[in-house]
Amino acid sequence: MEMLQMDGERFSREVLAAGKPALVEFWAPWCVYCRRIGPAVGQLAARYAGRLTVGQVNIDGEPALAERYGIEVVPTLLFFRDGQPADRAVAPASLAEIEDFVTAHWKG
Amino acid sequence: MEPIHDVLIVGGGPAGYTAALYAARAGLDAALLEKLSAGGQMALTTKIENWPGFPDGIDGFDLGERMQRGAERAGAKTVLAEALSANLWGEIKTVETSAGRFRARTVIWATGAEPRRLGLPGETELTGRGVHYCAACDGMAYRGKTVAVVGGGNSAAADALQLSRVCKRVVLVHRRDTLRAEKAYHEQLMQAGNIEFCWNSVPTALLRVGGLRGLRLRDVQTGRERDLACDGVFISVGRAPATGLVREQLALDEAGSILAGESTKTNLPGVFAAGDVRAKALRQIVTAASDGAVAAHEAAAYLAGGG
Repeated sequence: MEMLQMDGERFSREVLAAGKPALVEFWAPWCVYCRRIGPAVGQLAARYAGRLTVGQVNIDGEPALAERYGIEVVPTLLFFRDGQPADRAVAPASLAEIEDFVTAHWKG
Repeated sequence: MEPIHDVLIVGGGPAGYTAALYAARAGLDAALLEKLSAGGQMALTTKIENWPGFPDGIDGFDLGERMQRGAERAGAKTVLAEALSANLWGEIKTVETSAGRFRARTVIWATGAEPRRLGLPGETELTGRGVHYCAACDGMAYRGKTVAVVGGGNSAAADALQLSRVCKRVVLVHRRDTLRAEKAYHEQLMQAGNIEFCWNSVPTALLRVGGLRGLRLRDVQTGRERDLACDGVFISVGRAPATGLVREQLALDEAGSILAGESTKTNLPGVFAAGDVRAKALRQIVTAASDGAVAAHEAAAYLAGGG
């Protein structure tokens, strides 16, 4: 499925101000590994549709967001609860690893 | 109870998806387990120039997706799941995964290979934050910085060249006094202008103050140690077959590759090994695809009672 691309304004509205948790993938067009995690992030977005906001931030297009959250390596996944970053996963190796990351914060 | 597939393929690289294509076209019920996305190692290469039929090269991720689509069009199914354990003895084989249990009459093990590690203290902790195994993936984080590349083969040379376009300074650390890389690389490395060589040197420690600050190197001839300041280390010292889950069941060679000849048959009936995970002389996309076709053929013969 097509991923939700977020600019600063959309990020503020859908991640910081929204009432539900969010999974944000910081990526870049030149990052070849980012493409590899795409199908897995898409599958999770479909599974949690309506309950979890899943979106992408292109760090080249939104350097301010990348800097604010200290993104040094892409892909980095950030899980947000109540507009606050709860945890991060850097370059996950499998769908299972991303699932575990989400479920860990979903409950806790 | 879970369905029993004719063929269960573990790994979605060129070996796995070729096996899936051939098995499905042979009329077999084929399921393929992939932990992340199609393509395997080649999905990290943006231009593949030795897959025949593409004179201008082809993007590895794109090629992986095409292989997946082809196999699925023939009737094979992909499940995005990570294999956690396997029981390959007996007539019905089972593989436990992150998405539940899978059962099949035949299994084609096509899990490929993964980067070899140096085994230094702190290496795991710093992975992705100073220590890297893929220049194409993580290189851009070191724009304008100094990095070390450890290794002397083709992939180390390619990594050094790729990083030299981004970084201020690249230091290639190699334990011998010449590179194993093909001659075509030597001239390019010399011409890059910002690549230096540290010959006869092996890393002995990752130096850190919070994050990575450098690499301690030992000269293998004099035994003398020195510290190289760098912002990142890219390790390119070969690949190890991904055979961790099957090492108690399948016969392996001393490097950990599955012992199976050109027939791809392992020591267990109904279990086949295809691609980089198999002990073989040449690990390439074409030879992986070839293994996949042979493995599917042998699996069909086994299921028909002739294998």
